[in-house]
Amino acid sequence: MRLDDDLRFGVRSLTTHRTRTWLTLLAMGLGTAAVIVLSALGEGARHYVLDEFTQLGTHLLVVIPGRNETTGGPPPLLGETPRDLTLDDAIALRRSRLVKRFAPIAVGSAPVSFGNLEREVSILGSTSDFIDVRHLELASGRFLPPGDPARSRPVTVLGDKLARELFGNQQALGKWVRIGDRRFRVIGLLASRGQSLGVDLGDLAMIPVASAQALFNSPALFRILIQASSRSALPAAEEAIRTLIRERHEGEDDVTIITQDAMLTTFDRILNALTLAVAGIAAVSLMVAGVLIMNVMLVAVSQRTAEVGLLKALGAARRQILALFLTEALLLAGAGTAGGLVLAFTGVRLFNSQVDAFNLVVPLWAPLAAVSVSLLTGLVFGLLPALRAARLDPVVALSGR
Amino acid sequence: MFPVRKNAMLIRDFSAFTLGAVRAHPTRSLLTVTGIAIGVAAVVLLTAIGEGVHRFVLAEFTQFGTNLIAVTPGKTSTLGMSGAVISNVRPLSLTDAEALSTLPEVRAVVPMVQGNAAVESNGNSRRTMVFGVGPRVPEVWQMRPAIGRFLPQDASGHARAFAVLGSKLQHELFGDASPLGKRVRIGGEPYRVVGVMESKGQMLGFDLDDSVFLPVSRALSMFNRESLMEIDLLYAPEADSATVAERVHNLLERRHGTEDFTITTQDQMLEVLGSVLDVLTMAVGALGGISLVVGGIGILTIMTIAVRERRHEIGLLRALGAARRQILVLFLTEAVALATFGGLMGFLIGAGGAWLIGAAVPALPTHTAWDFVLLAELTAALIGLAAGVLPAMNAARLDPVAALRDE
Repeated sequence: MRLDDDLRFGVRSLTTHRTRTWLTLLAMGLGTAAVIVLSALGEGARHYVLDEFTQLGTHLLVVIPGRNETTGGPPPLLGETPRDLTLDDAIALRRSRLVKRFAPIAVGSAPVSFGNLEREVSILGSTSDFIDVRHLELASGRFLPPGDPARSRPVTVLGDKLARELFGNQQALGKWVRIGDRRFRVIGLLASRGQSLGVDLGDLAMIPVASAQALFNSPALFRILIQASSRSALPAAEEAIRTLIRERHEGEDDVTIITQDAMLTTFDRILNALTLAVAGIAAVSLMVAGVLIMNVMLVAVSQRTAEVGLLKALGAARRQILALFLTEALLLAGAGTAGGLVLAFTGVRLFNSQVDAFNLVVPLWAPLAAVSVSLLTGLVFGLLPALRAARLDPVVALSGR
Repeated sequence: MFPVRKNAMLIRDFSAFTLGAVRAHPTRSLLTVTGIAIGVAAVVLLTAIGEGVHRFVLAEFTQFGTNLIAVTPGKTSTLGMSGAVISNVRPLSLTDAEALSTLPEVRAVVPMVQGNAAVESNGNSRRTMVFGVGPRVPEVWQMRPAIGRFLPQDASGHARAFAVLGSKLQHELFGDASPLGKRVRIGGEPYRVVGVMESKGQMLGFDLDDSVFLPVSRALSMFNRESLMEIDLLYAPEADSATVAERVHNLLERRHGTEDFTITTQDQMLEVLGSVLDVLTMAVGALGGISLVVGGIGILTIMTIAVRERRHEIGLLRALGAARRQILVLFLTEAVALATFGGLMGFLIGAGGAWLIGAAVPALPTHTAWDFVLLAELTAALIGLAAGVLPAMNAARLDPVAALRDE
């Protein structure tokens, strides 16, 4: 028998029992679609998080005061150290040629008031480079002026939400606001970007870092953000920073340095594992569909006992009978998967056209894995019925009822 | 449920008929049952893992006691913490903590500041977490010293330079030797060790055993700051958390003039956490549910085939006077029986698997979520019913004459 005979035999037997065939296809299609859509959901989440991280800046290093020696533990994200990370430490880092830009950050919270409106927000003290390091944009005005970071100036740049709350529709640029017990002139407004990894960049006021240190009466920096000159310079830059700080801190190694790459890799690994797990759970439904294929094929074999007997009597070999029924099982699995793929891709496209904030991304491996798993399922679960058909004794099969 | 009329079939006949139909094709029935069983097992196992994680996380949070209220500086309006925890113009001070301890429902107060410093002892040094706390930690955080005692109740501002080590830090610095009475330098200042805490293990990634506890006033001056990072209150168990929170709020607002602090009751936190985890469990349950639906399609397919194969039999029954409803019920019973049996098998597999995972991997806690088990069983039975309706109606609608003539 030739391949096209196999195929014709399979197609005809599938089309004679339409309901049964459609239902099996539906089961297989649902399983495939579930795998694709769920892995697209996971992959979409991964892309979303990676985007958020790359928006933070490029070739970024973060210097955090304090260091824990617990292995594998989290860095000391907030908290105090006996020896502060100071503005002088930050300025010293500029000596390294591997450091392209640096932005010291002092953080605190204080009431910001204009007229009789007051709002308690986070105050971020930094320098003019901050806007380039963090890839922020201004809606109007200008950013903190460049110059000596140690000089305090009474100027501030407001987040869009804070500006809206305090000024409403009024022009905010050029007005004087009170932050804590000091007065600052508004020189710029940040463009709205919404939440960035849990920090609301719209609801804050930025002031020069020296002003923030005076406002909060503390020489301590919360972080130093550093942009390395290139991606390949990241490890060398990390080493250079560590050495510089150690020299300045009397030989004590008391800072934690996190590279953006390290953060990215961690999140990437976690989200990939999640996507795989979810897709794996969905793949269980493919197995259930495989059981159904086996069941339907068994019914088909028992219904066509006489036909198989005739084929064998006419000289068909066992292998040929086996091939016949396996082809039928594979046709079922393949067509179901194809339908599921169409369903899944249409669904994903529809979702993406309706929802702007979050995009589903079908990872390349998902359709490949779904197709191979379902074909394998068809093969494995089709094998038993096909073997049963192949082993039929022609005489018994032809005579028997 | 069965129609009991004069010439109605007996329940015994019903079950005999159904069982016979199931038994006539053992492989087929077994496979159908397997399909449903896999689906139910997936739901039971996944929700068991979800529920296990839920309990684990809640236990992590309640290990510090349940009647807790935390006060942090700064008014947090959105997600995430306020910058005020780091620095602020209106500090949350030690005197605030002392004032809070005078409230009638408040049993104990722990002012807290956290940082990072090197702890040195005769040549060994280790950088670690530093907690500046009040003397009431054993009651409020429910952690006891294993040897020695906790920080003594000194007059505020005159706290003696005593330190209590976490168990891991003690091991790293002193090995097996007793550290009691020994001198250590923390952040360059000399302290005397008065106790070692019992091991508390990891708490959401933070290793509390690798830490040192100092008097809060000394920690504040070591870190050169005036504001606490948090004040934890333990209130009387019979008091209502909302009322206590209200009193704390009023007291602090009177002292500060404005609301520049955030109050979090543990009830609130547990509630938020619980609802998030519930959603998670539900989501993984739904993921398993996909397999259940596919299994349902399996039942539908097999019942369709069964009705077609047994046209003859149905025709005979109808010719002998069986009512349409009786035929309908016959086939529905078969579908539901298959589904329910599959559900039962699935429950055994799923719960057994969950138990195995729990026994083999103690780090991954599992706990069979009975509400989801019930839901999965009900869904299985319902799916059987739904999948049986169409074929059963087809069977009932058969014309006896045509069905009998049919070969």
